[in-house]
Amino acid sequence: MNELPPIVFVVDDDDAVRRALMRLIRSAGYRVEGFGSASEFLDSRPCTHRTACLVLDVQLPGLNGLDLQRELNAASALLPIIFITGHGDIAMTVSAMKAGATDFLAKPIGDTDLLRAIETALRNSSQAVTSRIELDSIRGRLARLTPREREVLALLVEGRLNKQVAFELGIAEKTIKVHRARVMEKMEAHSLVELARITDKVGIALSRSQPTAR
Amino acid sequence: MTIVHAVVIAAAFIAVLMLLTLRRMHARQALARSAAPMNLDIEPSQPRPEKFSFSTHAGATIEHQTFGTPSEQTGSSEVPSSRPSSPQTRPSIRARLAMFSAGRLRRTALRRSAQQGGEESQLAMPDGFRATARPLQEDEQFLNTLELLPFAVLMTNQHGQIVLANAVTEKLFGYSRDALIGASADLLMPAWQANFHVAQPADMISLPSIRPVGAACDLVARREDGTEFPAEITANPISSGSEHYTLTVVIDRTERYELRRNRQQLAHLTRVSTLGELAGSLAHELNQPLTAILSNVQAAQRFLTTQPINLTEVREILQDLVADNHRASEVIRKIRALVKKGEFEAAPLSLASVIGDVALLVHSDAIVRGIRVLLTISPELPPVHGDRVQVQQVVLNLLLNAFDALQSRSTQDRVVVVEATHDSAGMLRIAVRDRGTGFDRDKLDKLFMPFFTSKREGLGLGLSISRSIVEMHGGRIWAENNKDQGATFYFTLPTGVAAKRARSPHQP
Repeated sequence: MNELPPIVFVVDDDDAVRRALMRLIRSAGYRVEGFGSASEFLDSRPCTHRTACLVLDVQLPGLNGLDLQRELNAASALLPIIFITGHGDIAMTVSAMKAGATDFLAKPIGDTDLLRAIETALRNSSQAVTSRIELDSIRGRLARLTPREREVLALLVEGRLNKQVAFELGIAEKTIKVHRARVMEKMEAHSLVELARITDKVGIALSRSQPTAR
Repeated sequence: MTIVHAVVIAAAFIAVLMLLTLRRMHARQALARSAAPMNLDIEPSQPRPEKFSFSTHAGATIEHQTFGTPSEQTGSSEVPSSRPSSPQTRPSIRARLAMFSAGRLRRTALRRSAQQGGEESQLAMPDGFRATARPLQEDEQFLNTLELLPFAVLMTNQHGQIVLANAVTEKLFGYSRDALIGASADLLMPAWQANFHVAQPADMISLPSIRPVGAACDLVARREDGTEFPAEITANPISSGSEHYTLTVVIDRTERYELRRNRQQLAHLTRVSTLGELAGSLAHELNQPLTAILSNVQAAQRFLTTQPINLTEVREILQDLVADNHRASEVIRKIRALVKKGEFEAAPLSLASVIGDVALLVHSDAIVRGIRVLLTISPELPPVHGDRVQVQQVVLNLLLNAFDALQSRSTQDRVVVVEATHDSAGMLRIAVRDRGTGFDRDKLDKLFMPFFTSKREGLGLGLSISRSIVEMHGGRIWAENNKDQGATFYFTLPTGVAAKRARSPHQP
């Protein structure tokens, strides 16, 4: 899934600044895409399953940089943000960093600072995207289970034996064996340990009363 | 070699000139001493017009310089004798004034002709001069009137030489009448000839068309001591027999200029303090192109290290660098233009450009405050006639006021609209509309009064200065509450054509 090349998004309302920043980032070998406003960026629906980061001006007309950060966080977009600002104050910086910004740079920005920040951001993004892709895949596999298979899975990863599961669910042990084989197949697990590990990653609730959330 | 020769010849020429001048000065002093007896000879029946009796203090000072006696003494010792109180004669002051003037004038004319001999052809022949001068210059009523006028009046002949000057002229300029008669009017008003006079008698017919009759213009006038002062000057051609004269009225406008300068200084101060408030925003406006320049240059450095070099990128970078640089200097120019202390300079102005410049200066201030500024100025509007800096000051003031009015408003209300439209004939109207809280009825009238303010840290000068600027341009400024929400400030400015028609040449 993470096959698309890394990309850097630049959102700055100032054409000249945006063009120059895009060029600088391009000169370091990255793909880069620019937007003149926060809403323009949101409208482009940037792909979240891709290694990417956002170079974002704080002072934007309309939706400002901090607003955009909030929106992206609310949509759990996993996009590392490097803020740039002409006149940032401490309060602004703190609020941006608390909300998870990678860096906060003052204009004019030196190339080494910017490119180092971008490198860090892309590395974080890459890791985040990889794990997100894995999680999505696991969730996809989980979704293929029938309710009965889900119940079986929950008890299996708790360490119950087939016999105990059969007793708990009030069905024949033979039938449990069939369910168990199906679960292993659908979850693409080769052993009970692997099944437990995969299940743990998505944090699936092991209790039958709360099947989807821990 | 030729240069050296020329210099030597020039030096010799100057030396000769100086000698001549010295001789003439001696002659003038000698003549001045004998002036009174001469006068008596000419008009034996007339009571002797006591010397200096009506000369003002300034006039006395000049005489003192000529004769080498202290002016105070001269003045005080003569005052008693100057009073026309003798019971035997007891002519009315007016009559005496008239006689004095007439006598004095004639005396001066004679003296001039005597002293100048054949040197100056214009006044060379006493007979000729008298013949031409007699009708007007001997008209006692006329002279009498001139003498009583509360402003400086002088009459010049077709050569631009002063033939008549009243007492106020002496006082105002500090020259004695003796020194004035025969001198060029340019001595008093260096630009007089250029403005009012036709040098050659052949052009006399066209004289009235030089300047509309009675039109006043502001010129710099120079006193005897070299100091200059602003004067409002009106010149009218008058004829006497076959001779043509120009009657020039000079009104000292020092006070008016002082007032105008004070107002300009106040406008300048508020402009500077407004820019001070905008400092952060202005720094940002300057920082943007600097950011672009730095990133562009660093990008270029990186592109140059790769092989093959991406020349397209580098070329584009260089183009952008030029543009960024222009942009930075434009910001500086705009700031400097507003900080500049300048005289009122009216010129045709494009409202789109004037308002656009101001919008640029407040651009980042608006962004920080989360305010959108919408300009709706149709490009086909004719230019207005005004001083760019001052019109910008008004727009800047109204815009920042509108920003302040939106301080407590919600995001969707944070909009300021600037519109420019046609008003009445020959006028354009600029409207600055906010969606703030508006004003109470009773405050709408007080808004433009000095020191009225609704802001905690406001001086209350912005709108009052805006009003004086707009009115100086021949426009009007007012405020109205919007029907739905907030308030709108309007001001009008004359278009170029209307301004030329309406605007008087000297406004305070």
